[in-house]
Amino acid sequence: MQIYQIILIALFIYLGSIGSIVGNTIGWYTLGRPLVASFVVGLIMGDVQTAILVGISLQIMYMGNVTPGGAVAWDLSYATYIGTAAALVFGKGLDTAQVIGLAVVFAGIGGLVGQIMWNLSYALNLPLNRVAQRYAEAGETKKMFIPNVVLGQLIGFACRFIPAVIVLTSMTAASAQGDFASLIPGWLTTVLGVFGGMMAALGMGIILSFLFKKKYHVVIFLAGFILVTYFNLSTMAVAVLAIIIAVLYYVAVTNLEAKRGEVQ
Amino acid sequence: MKKISEKTLKRSFLNWFFWNGCSQQAESMLGIAFGQSMAPVIDELYDKKEEKAEALKRHITLFNTESQVGSICNGIVCGLEEANANGNCTPELISSVKVALIGPTSAIGDSLWVATIIPILLTICLSISQASLATGWLGPVLYMLVYPIGTFILSWYLFKLGYRSGLEGMQTFMSSGRLNSLTDTMTVLGLIVVGALTASFVSLPLPIQIVRDVFDATTGQILENQVIFDADKVVNSIFPNILPLLLTLAVYYLYSKKKWSPLKLMGLIFVLACLLTLLGYATGVYA
Repeated sequence: MQIYQIILIALFIYLGSIGSIVGNTIGWYTLGRPLVASFVVGLIMGDVQTAILVGISLQIMYMGNVTPGGAVAWDLSYATYIGTAAALVFGKGLDTAQVIGLAVVFAGIGGLVGQIMWNLSYALNLPLNRVAQRYAEAGETKKMFIPNVVLGQLIGFACRFIPAVIVLTSMTAASAQGDFASLIPGWLTTVLGVFGGMMAALGMGIILSFLFKKKYHVVIFLAGFILVTYFNLSTMAVAVLAIIIAVLYYVAVTNLEAKRGEVQ
Repeated sequence: MKKISEKTLKRSFLNWFFWNGCSQQAESMLGIAFGQSMAPVIDELYDKKEEKAEALKRHITLFNTESQVGSICNGIVCGLEEANANGNCTPELISSVKVALIGPTSAIGDSLWVATIIPILLTICLSISQASLATGWLGPVLYMLVYPIGTFILSWYLFKLGYRSGLEGMQTFMSSGRLNSLTDTMTVLGLIVVGALTASFVSLPLPIQIVRDVFDATTGQILENQVIFDADKVVNSIFPNILPLLLTLAVYYLYSKKKWSPLKLMGLIFVLACLLTLLGYATGVYA
């Protein structure tokens, strides 16, 4: 990777992390999602197609990674930017399944670094309460942004940007040693391929735990499954079908409720 | 009669929308950010320095919520501060209402917005990207437009709803049947799409085969190294993709019923992948 590519990716890792300066809606929930992150990495590295291929798999795998009650299960921003970048840097000469497996492993490493940095910033932010208290006691309404945005983000930026640069630089140095495909044994790439394909079950399984609310819901899930396996529809076609069914369902349910209201 | 101007309300909202997570920590969670969000409102409502200090101090205390749907809290507190400045409310009431809002707004925000809307929107964008590699960029671009803009509008709407109709407004919003029907509908949509994604993305090979030399009766020759049994083919001809389906349901079961952590599940999948690969090499599927 070139220096400007390392700096740009590290910058986006910071922006996509939780509580960055662009806000969680634009940062964590948009730039930090694997689908978007891989697209950004693809643009920076000049290979959008491979990046998105990797991004789709990472997105599916991490689909269940949401932050209930503010607890970060796994630092998505770190995981996906590092994972996609690694796939592009080391993926030469490997087939798609193996590239994805590679991305999954590096995403794991990235996620771990991100998790440590999140805990660090969480601790380093504590003294900000004292600063905020001082400004509040002085009634400085115009200066409340100092403890929150200025100091908070100095810590946030340092905790995200610097480690990201270090990780990306070491990846670049490692890739200069030779092609990954020729360095690692064949059985390892086979494991990577099998592992990558199986990891998609993690995201799907976790997201099901949010969606299964009633017993019959498993049937609706199976309907989507069978439309692909037996009817050979693409996921896009199923998505369109699902939207139509959802609209009909909504109309039916609200009509039913209106009728119930009349009876009562 | 004091009134918060539209401009100040916007400032307060934008302070929250962009910077709610900037100084998150374990002591006051989003407290400092909430204080910054309230600062312009306090500046406008109170004249004396001491009053401003008092008001600021009560808003940098512990506060936490799902920040996007939780902007309704900021709206409600703006309304209460306005009432307080006019002598119709007490600081104690403001503080207790704030604490009471933490639970329900976090619950709604996390379950409806974060755990339902975001994954469903992502799965739809994913399908668009997957449809054709050449137009793969379309999915992320669509998400980057729809999600932030939609959330901004919702967040601003809830903020104003909170300010105008206070706690009652929130109660009507939460108890209306519309919200429930909408959640149910999104769930149905999500389930179908997740089913389709499971079928097309999860893979689980069963690399077992039996290789034998076979005597071909029609030609009278011995054919060497013929695959007479391929477990993967047999299983898939009975029920295509049954193994990925079972793996996904197993992950669901372990995560949701047995409370396994994602990291533990990842470990299990890795061990399984190693075992399957070993099996594949042992029976000669992988060479």
